[in-house]
Amino acid sequence: MSLGILGKKLGMTQIFKEDGTCVPVTIVQAGPCKVLQVKMATAAEFAEGDKTASVNRGKKSGRVARPRRADGYYAVQLGFDNKPARVSSKAELGHAKKAGADATRLVREFRLAAAPTVKTGEEVTVKLLEGVKCVDVVGITKGRGWTGTIKRHNFSQQPMSHGNSLNHRTGGGLGRQHSISSGVPKGKRMAGHYGVERVTVQNLEVVKIDAERNLVYLHGAVPGHNRGYLVLQKTKKVARVIAAPPGVKVKK
Amino acid sequence: MNLLRQLELEHMKSAIPDFGIGDTVDVHYMIKEGDKERIQVFSGTVIAIQGSGIRRVATVRRLVAGEGVERIFPLHSPRVATVEVKERGLVRRAKLYYLRDREGKGTRVKPNMGKLRFPRSGKGSGIQKTAPKTES
Repeated sequence: MSLGILGKKLGMTQIFKEDGTCVPVTIVQAGPCKVLQVKMATAAEFAEGDKTASVNRGKKSGRVARPRRADGYYAVQLGFDNKPARVSSKAELGHAKKAGADATRLVREFRLAAAPTVKTGEEVTVKLLEGVKCVDVVGITKGRGWTGTIKRHNFSQQPMSHGNSLNHRTGGGLGRQHSISSGVPKGKRMAGHYGVERVTVQNLEVVKIDAERNLVYLHGAVPGHNRGYLVLQKTKKVARVIAAPPGVKVKK
Repeated sequence: MNLLRQLELEHMKSAIPDFGIGDTVDVHYMIKEGDKERIQVFSGTVIAIQGSGIRRVATVRRLVAGEGVERIFPLHSPRVATVEVKERGLVRRAKLYYLRDREGKGTRVKPNMGKLRFPRSGKGSGIQKTAPKTES
């Protein structure tokens, strides 16, 4: 578990490497993100400015400061893509104000294994990904509406001929009849709504980082439409090191 | 300008030679032989140009021992060194796929005797009877 960064898919294109290899890339605007909140496992770990929290005690006493309680886990909450105050709720504005930031359209939390080093109000930029070879990208896929089983569950098509009539793209049989356990099994894959779901693509290579414009070029496609929001994190996949058998020379 | 288009421009070659459909061209292409790199020339007729921006590719067709050979060149690839225009062709379609069905004399494309203006994509073009020197 490591700190990631929030971003926006700009679109796909291709670039050429020096040796002429053509690389399909997705250009992602990653950050800058504001740290809206830092969560700590114990109250003692809070940074100086984070030690107190105010609570509304009603009309008489108004807002009263009290020691902030521990969150019970380590996490960093990031905000990305500022939005105007007129479309933000008061709760969003108040929460962002504590970090000295504007309200943002996307707020996500990253759980961490150890106490985070970033502080509330700091900025996380694409420089975070420098030196990272591969990332996992979370996005919301494009909506496909109501789809049949072929598109939704990769069912096979039925024969176009050989006496088949009107049943080319249908799902086929649903269950069994005349037996003790008759009926349609639970979880039977059928036609229905497909898309608009959270999908993670693992192990996408970071081709290039443009720190000046907060851009990162990823090898391959990421979920969702252009301008869709993404979460980028160092990949969970572990690069497999295959040891050469004894006596075998490895070509470098 | 669209940011994506802007970024594409930064990765593109500053200029690609001005040639069009039906032109006879020499494509100088870098190939790898073992560890050495050398330039190979593929000369033929441009029968299709597709894509825009950095994704622009040209299909070049030629006859080798009576057998049609087509190669698709990504024009912004660093491996495409230069494209030299040998002869301008006068054609009335954007895609010359009909040449695939033809043999012998039928594969010839009418030479353009100064009928079309060059460069096709730019301003201030004059009528040129001979192929202009192309930039790499």
